[in-house]
Order: sequence, then C-alpha cells, then structure tokens
Amino acid sequence: MADLTLAATSALGGYRTEIGGVRLAERTGLAIVSIAVPRDGEAALAEALQAGFGADLPRPGRSSLSRDGATRLLGMAADQLFAVFDHEGPDAARGVGAALGTAAYASDQSDVWVALRLEGAAVRRALERICPLDLHADAFAEGQVARTVIEHLGAIVLRDGPHALTLFSARSSARAFLHALETSLRNVA
Amino acid sequence: MTDALPLPVALRRDARPESARGLQAHRLAGGLVDRSRTLSFRFDGRQFTGHFGDTLASALLANGVRLVGRSFKYHRPRGIFTAGSEEPNALVELRTGAYREPNTRATVAELFDGLEALSQNHRGSLGFDLMAANDLLSPFLTAGFYYKTFKWPKAFWEKLYEPVIRASAGLGRLSGEPDPDTYDKGFLHCDVLVIGAGPAGLAAALAAGRAGARVILADEDFRLGGRLNAETLTVAGQPGALWAEQAAAELASMPNVRLMPRTTVLGGFDHGIWGALERMTDHRADAEGKPRQVLWRIYARRAILGAGAIERPIAFGNNDRPGVMLAGAVRTYANRWGVAPGRRIAVFTNNDDGWRTAADLAGHGVEIAAVIDTRAGQPCLALPGVPVFMGEAVADTHGRKALARITLASGRRIEADCLAVSGGWNPNVHLTCHQRGRPEWREDIAAFVPPRDLPNGLTVAGAANGALSLAAALAEGRGAAEAATEGLGFTPAKAPQPRAEDEPVAISAFWHVGASRARAWIDLQNDVTVKDIALAQREGFRAVEHLKRYTTLGMATDQGKTANVLGLAIMAELTGRTIPQTGTTVFRPPYTPVAIGAFAGRARGKDFRPVRLTPSHAWAEERRAVFVETGAWLRAQWFPREGETHWRESVDREVRMTRASVGVCDVTTLGKIDIQGRDAGEFLNRVYANAFGKLAVGRTRYGLMLREDGIAMDDGTTARLGERHYLMTTTTANAVAVFRHLEFCRQCLWPGLDVHLISVTDGWAQYAVAGPNSRDLLREIVDPEHDISNEAFPFMACGEVTVCGGTRARLFRISFSGELAYELAVPARYGDALIRALMRAGAPFDVVPYGTEALGVMRVEKGHAAGNELNGQTTARDLGLGAMVSRKKDCIGKTLSERPALNRDDGLRLMGFRPVDRSLGLVAGSHFVGFGREAVTANDEGWMSSVAFSPTLGHSIGLGFIRRGEARRGETVRAVDLLRGTDMAVEIVSPHFVDPEGDRLRG
Repeated sequence: MADLTLAATSALGGYRTEIGGVRLAERTGLAIVSIAVPRDGEAALAEALQAGFGADLPRPGRSSLSRDGATRLLGMAADQLFAVFDHEGPDAARGVGAALGTAAYASDQSDVWVALRLEGAAVRRALERICPLDLHADAFAEGQVARTVIEHLGAIVLRDGPHALTLFSARSSARAFLHALETSLRNVA
Repeated sequence: MTDALPLPVALRRDARPESARGLQAHRLAGGLVDRSRTLSFRFDGRQFTGHFGDTLASALLANGVRLVGRSFKYHRPRGIFTAGSEEPNALVELRTGAYREPNTRATVAELFDGLEALSQNHRGSLGFDLMAANDLLSPFLTAGFYYKTFKWPKAFWEKLYEPVIRASAGLGRLSGEPDPDTYDKGFLHCDVLVIGAGPAGLAAALAAGRAGARVILADEDFRLGGRLNAETLTVAGQPGALWAEQAAAELASMPNVRLMPRTTVLGGFDHGIWGALERMTDHRADAEGKPRQVLWRIYARRAILGAGAIERPIAFGNNDRPGVMLAGAVRTYANRWGVAPGRRIAVFTNNDDGWRTAADLAGHGVEIAAVIDTRAGQPCLALPGVPVFMGEAVADTHGRKALARITLASGRRIEADCLAVSGGWNPNVHLTCHQRGRPEWREDIAAFVPPRDLPNGLTVAGAANGALSLAAALAEGRGAAEAATEGLGFTPAKAPQPRAEDEPVAISAFWHVGASRARAWIDLQNDVTVKDIALAQREGFRAVEHLKRYTTLGMATDQGKTANVLGLAIMAELTGRTIPQTGTTVFRPPYTPVAIGAFAGRARGKDFRPVRLTPSHAWAEERRAVFVETGAWLRAQWFPREGETHWRESVDREVRMTRASVGVCDVTTLGKIDIQGRDAGEFLNRVYANAFGKLAVGRTRYGLMLREDGIAMDDGTTARLGERHYLMTTTTANAVAVFRHLEFCRQCLWPGLDVHLISVTDGWAQYAVAGPNSRDLLREIVDPEHDISNEAFPFMACGEVTVCGGTRARLFRISFSGELAYELAVPARYGDALIRALMRAGAPFDVVPYGTEALGVMRVEKGHAAGNELNGQTTARDLGLGAMVSRKKDCIGKTLSERPALNRDDGLRLMGFRPVDRSLGLVAGSHFVGFGREAVTANDEGWMSSVAFSPTLGHSIGLGFIRRGEARRGETVRAVDLLRGTDMAVEIVSPHFVDPEGDRLRG
C-alpha cells in the first residue's frame, strides 16, 4: 500500500503569469476555515479570538489580523468569518476548532476555493471589466473584503495591498475564473 | 474666427498651396483636422483622401461627394444631412467581409487610413438605383400601405408579399457571418457622471473635479468640446475650441476625473445606473485583438446631463435632396473640419441661430446665395452683399442627384448647391425620459425641455435644459456640478466663471411651408412626409403613438431625432390641438444603436457560462471519457474502450462489470452542505419530511424535502458527523436551490435556531465505489486501523477514516446502484490521486470506472427516483414515499401535502414498466392509455418518466407514473408517444427491477 500515497494537487497547479504589468498567481498552501458564530455567542467568540489569535472580531466587509500577523480573519456575514492562513495540510479546521472550542463552529473551506493574487497598477482597470464592486482605494481600502459575482461565479475579493487583491472563487470552476481574469488583463494591457 | 486670437494646435491654417492638398477641393482654411496627416479611404470603390480628425462624412464632403445613400422606401437620392449621431440619411456599410457593419452613420465614423465604406439600400449603383421606381409609386406607398394592401388575397401573404417585402426592406446588409470582433462589458463607479462634454458638460466636470469628486465625463464624440468645436464663439476671450482643449487637458490631469470620449451614454436606469457604450477600436483599421467596444454599467451618485440639442428641419417641397442640410451642421463642417458643403450656399431659417451659419460661412469666404427667414421684420445680422428675404420661405428644390436651385414661395428661383435649414433646436431630453418622464413644452424656444420631475440624482444643464446660449450653458453646467458635489459633502472650489457670449437665440415657430406642392419630408430615414401625417390624421391615427406606428415616423436607426417634434407639431396643426396636448412618444434606450455583440459581451460560444470540473477530470480525459453537461458541471458520461463503437456497448459493459465485481463513479457534483449548531437536528426535522431527530452520530439517513406546497423538492442523504455536525447531500441539479432554501428557512423562518450552513461541494472529491467487491477494494485503500466490515460499518454507516497511509477521508455506506456500495470523500486536492489509486488498487478486481449513463441505468434498475421523477409535479405519495412524511412532527410542506386533491384514490403512483414485446425499446415521455381508447388528454393515465436498457435483465425497462399504479401490478396498458409515433403494450411492474429486497446493499 505504500505506493498508494496520495499526492495533493492545487486547483491550478500553482499557476502564475504576468500580463500588462500585473502579476497573477495562484496562492497555494493556504488554509481557509469558516467560523460560524453561535447564536448569541458573539461576545464569547470575540473573547476566544483574542485568546486564541490575538485578533479582533471583524465586522462583515472588514478583516483583522492576528497578533503574529499570520492569520487574517475576514468578516463574511453577520454570523460568519473566514480565517485565512498559510498551512499545508488538509486539517486546518481542527486547529481552529481546537483554539476556539465551543465559541465557534469551524468548517474547513481550504479545498472549496481557489485563491488568486493579483498585484500591479492595472489591477483595478482590469477588474472593471468583470467585477461589479467599486475597487477604488477610497471605496475599498486595504483590509476590506466583499463577496460578489464575477462572470457568473461567486467570488470573495480581499484588498491586501495598495495595488493588490486576493480573489477567492470556487475550486471546480477555477479554470473558468482564471480565464475571466486573464482575458480582462489582456483586454486592458 | 478672429485671427488675433491664439489658435489651438489643430486649428493652425494650412499654408500649403491648394494643389498640395490633394483632391479635397471643398477644403477651407482652418478646422480641427491635422493636415499633416493625410488618410486614404474608399467609398463605393473610389479612392479618396481625408485628414486625421475627419469623420467619413466630413471627408466625403471635402471631396465634393454629396450623394451618399438611398432612402428607405422610395429609394430617393440622399446626402449628408447632419454632423452628428442624429444622422438619418448618410448610413453606410463600414468595413468588409465578416467585419462589415451596416447602417453606420458616416457623420460619426472617425476616418482612419484604409477605411472602406459602401453606400446601401440600392439595387444597381448608387447613382442608378432600380428601386428608385418606387418613387413613382409613391401615391400608393403612403402611410398604412402595408396594412391596406397586403390583406388580400390571404394566400399571397406567405408566398409573395412577405418575400418581396423582406427582400426590399431594411437598409444595409448584414455580413451573414459571425461577428469576428470581441466585446467587453464592465462596471464603473463615480460621484458625478457628466453626460456630454460640450460647454455645459465641461463646465460641470471642471467644477466637480476641482471640488475633489470622482467624476466621469462621457461624450459620444472623439473630440471633447461639443458645439464649442463647431462654433466661432469665444470663452474667456479664446476660441471656444481652444478653451475646450484646455479644459480637457486640465480634466485629464486630475486623478479623480476619468475622461471617456467615444462613449455614448445610451440609457438611464433605476438607482443611478447608466448604460454606456465606449467605442475602443472603431477608429482604428485593426482592433489588434482588443475588444472593439465596451458596454459599461455606470453607478453614479449624481448625474449631470449636458447632452446639448439637435437642430430640426422645416418641411418644404423636396427638402430631402442631397445638398439640403441642417444649418448648424453646415457651419460645423466649415468651422470644425474646414469643409464647405457647397460653393454657393443658401440659408433658410425661422430663428436667429440660422443667421450664424450665414455669418460663419461668409467669414470663411463662402458665397452666400441668400438668407431666407420666415419671420417678417428686420434681419438680425448685417451681411453685406447677401440677398435677404424676410417673411419668405423655400417652397421647392431642384437638381438631378443633388441640389442645384431652390424656389421660394413667391416663385423666385435662386441658384444654390447647398441649402442650410434651421427650424430651431430641440433639447436632447431622451435620457431624462427613460424612466417614463414626459418632457414639457416651452413656448419661448418652441421646444420640449426635460420634465421637472427628474430621475433621482439627475440634473440637466445647458442646451439640453433649454438654455441655448453659450454663457447660459457654461453657467448651468457649473451650477449643476456645484449643487451636486455640495450635496455629496464636497466643497466647491472657487474659480472665476469664464466670460462667454449670450448670443441671440430668438425663434418664431414655423413647421412647414404651406405653399409647397411637392412632397415635404419630415422623417428622412423612413420617408414620412407631411401628406402621410395628414392621411394618418384623416384616418383617425391622431394619438402620437398611433401616428408613429401608422406612418413609421421616428422609427429605425435614428429614432426620429430630427423628425419627431416636427411630425407631432404638424399633427397638432392638423388637429387644432396644441403641441403639449399632442405630446411625445415614449423615449426608450438605447439613445443610439448598439451592436448585438456588445450586449453579448464575452458570453459567446464556450464562454457563454463557466464550466465546473470534478477533481477526476484530467484523469477521465486521459481515459478518453465522453463528457456531458450537468448544469455547469462536465461529468464523464461513459468511458469508451478500444473497439467499442456505440455508447450502449460502453454503458452496458460498465453496468455489468459493476454488478459483477466493482465500479467507481465520480459523484463530486452532488451538493454538500455542512450543517452545524445546537439546533441542527431540529432544523433537519423541519426541512425534511421524514424524522431526523434520532439519527445517531456515525449514521446516514435518506431524506426527502418538500416544497411549501407539498410537492417533492429534492432528496439526498444526510450524515451525522458529530453531536452538532451534519453533512447533507443534495442532487447535482438542485444544489444551489436547496442551499438557498435552507438559508431562507434559517434566516427568515426560524431565526431563533442556532444553525449554520456552508457549502462544501467543491471541497471534497467524492467517489461511489459499488459492486460486490467494493468492500474488498476499499480495504486496499482505507487504512487498516479502520474496521469496515459489515458488522463494524453496516449499511448507512458513516465516519471519518484515513486512506492511503494517513490522508483524512470520509466514508459513507450508501448505495444508489443497489449494490453493496460506499461513497468515499477526500479533500479535493487529493481527488486526482485517489481515483488513480482506486484504479490501481482495483485492478485485481477488474474495477471499472462508470459514467453518468451507467449510474442512470443502475438507478432505474433499482427503482430510485431522480430528476425526471422529482420534476416539481410529484408528491411523496406519487413517488411511493408517502410513508416518509412523518405524522409525528411538522415539516415544510406537510400541511399542504394533505390536500385532498393530492391524496385521491386514483392518484399517480411511481411504477416500473416493461415492454410486453421484450425486443422493443421503451420511450421516455410516452403517455399511458388504455387499450381501445383514443390517445387524447382525456384518456391520459400517466407518463413514462425514465427508461433504460437493462443489461442485467436484457431488455428495456422504465419508470413512470400511472393512476392507481400500486393496485395495477401485472396489468397491461399502452405507452403512446405521438411525437415519435410509437404505441406499444407495456406491463405494470414493481419499480424495483433488481434486488427488490435490498439484500445486496446490506450484504
């Protein structure tokens, strides 16, 4: 059975490219864990997040960083956060679940999503062609996060740099999502 | 233009001698074209030259080309009539081959080197059009001609009239090939959208930009400035065009301002949303792979409309002859493009503005044949040496294919090769009316102005608002921007208001020349004349909307931009009503025509929608699987082997091998919903018809969900992974709908429950492993510390396991095929590796991968309902699952499932069917009818929902719904399909064809 060890493959095989001065790369080795807030449990979760991560509970549309800067908490909905951090294994939810105990319901989302990072001056210009959100720095500052639909695909947009965004979309349609992004980059290049 | 004033770069006079300027014999000095850049182009096969900055129309006029097209109905010769997007006449086919675009307005087509255009709407040459015979038939081709003529004889419609009408209708020709260009769509956001970059728009954009607001300035022209580029008026002591150039330069330097020339704002929609079309590459010979146009959706907190005004003609005899043009357009060609549309030009006006055309032309040294003003009294300008006729009108025009002479109402004849006509200016109110606004009539300018009640956030400035002088436009633009930005919390910057003229704009309404005997055109594009309006009036089509449909006034590509007001004014005259009483037709987007490709954007071919791929896709491709679209998913339908030539061979083999040993199918596409919370069990109890309260941890249960109306909605299994943790599966097709339904239940129906949902469909690669050897195969994969024996892991068990030496996985003992079967899930990243491992470990068992077809065959053999049965019409009772609707608890749909009509004794029941003649193939969609009865709805007893060839039984089998089915086992009925023409005897049997007792799946 030794020869049957399973090797992991990322959604896009670690694809990276540069188009029109914009660097586009799949973010691999990324853990995404959803954290549901138990009903009436917001205060307890805020406490647990401080204790476990040294992080504030972010409002929907905002994100916060853990004390060590390793974990970013994304406010996804009134009772839902995503914890995003570098992690190689498929067991990220266990760690988060253990850290938060009964203060949260954790679910592993790492393999649900493909994460693509775009960085470069033309990022906003390119995304205008597919993304309905206002990504102007005044309207969508660093650390802000939003859910939207891009070319029929649900997506999460996180600004994590002055000219950088990380986009999350469903793993199964990763190729279609990449195609939409690359087409937009080429069309404005 | 005054020589003492500094000139914009492009306004420098051409110092070269006439001969060096090529054949552009109608070029004047000056203009905003770059004479150092000569462009060559072809029109109807003839080679011409123009300059950078020209439109196709200005370049044609520079070359003395006056006949450019034929009219829609009468095929009358037509020339260039306007200098803008309102052009009714000068429509051409632009570009060649598949790139050919018909009905392109030459007046807005930017000239580029190598441009090719063809005139349109003629048989034979443009000069000699066979269809011009229609003009002789004009007494018959009046308004309502089609409605009156083609009614009889009835048989003639399809065979004769329609083909003839289709052949002669339309203007330009489509290429008939797929559009080879690409298009894009996009989204923009701003504080202030300024529509139109004329004086009002530029002043507004400057004020809003200087205040710090995010501004978008959009204009359909390729050069910002609007009428400033067409007039000799000054702003702040400079030529208007120069001021516009400087304003544009200042705006371009502001990071908060986005300039969008070549962009038509084509519609106003709810909530401050505007549609706009940006032409990206239409001014280039080659798009170089970039999108030709972008259709933008602009979200604007405020909008300022500075769309200007469009001049309207006066109706008089033969006023459609090439050489008859709008007066404002004539001076635009002279001032902006340095082109004289004629050598000897007459002006016919009812207002002061028309006189400016005469003055500007005289300033260019063009001979003015006469100025004819319908108003009695004194001339409003002194034009030395120009014959002036006050209180006079033009009654007729003459000339073969272009104007040579005009006749006045008094009978006087005047030689002229161009007649500049001004009937006044109509503010461009279109965008103010897209949300059903009705414009208001202003008697002092004899025109409609925007309604007082404007869409939220919109203000109108300048000529579009009826402020027709330059000074007023600048002031209104600035004022509108200051009010808008202040309302948004910005502080207006203090800058002096530039000085500008308040030029005279007095008008006395005058619509048509009564002395004209000849036909007088109102709508040039649709060949609607004054007589047509009169006929409509006589025949009772007096309401403007009726008038429009009866006469075609205001239809087609120009939507009557030059014709509508004139047409309804004449209707008002004829009916003795006022113009406001007569009213306008409804304005609808788009403002100017939009290529269908722009609406489609990227959604073409395989890019129509995204594709979802399962983790085993690459492996399945290597296996040469045939794929089928299931929603957005691509699933392997079957895996053909060497030598198999028919899909049935592959599918039959996959079924046989699975039932004989073991098969593997990718079932990743089933919806997976992670459900957690203290009240998760209660939540499931309420959404499922059957009870879930007592489901033990480590167990799975089949669940049926009802809609509120009691009809079956979806089915699947739900596993209890932990005390407060469940995993629901849904059908592939309903994954999103079920998730949405559950979120609605959670958030809106029972917000008090502690329950949380998240989709994990994409997170897990899941494989069904089915067949008598499935457990033996899994023992090679599942790590040995996990006991999967029948005792330790019985039917409907579930649990976390590890596979292949420590990889986390979930195992479910569930069966869709009816065999001993499992579903094994691993994080999606291991999906590709796991299918390969299953195939390798399964080799000793002769493992077979099977696709959705074999999956479907086996579920029909087993009698499981699927999408064809859960079709939104059937109840749990119909499906034979009535006992699942728990009587001990409430659930969504329970009450309405108890309606008597859904519980009739002769209700439908899901049954199995087999052909009496086993060699026949059943047909899905057949209806059941008794023997000796007619196959009509009244005798319908039900329908066949799914059929398959069963390799296990060796004949065709089917599932279907039939009245009182349970009581009719063994009975024979007819299955009739009138569409396919089949009618066969079928026997009603149990829906469970294979292993009805379920021994296999429990073994």
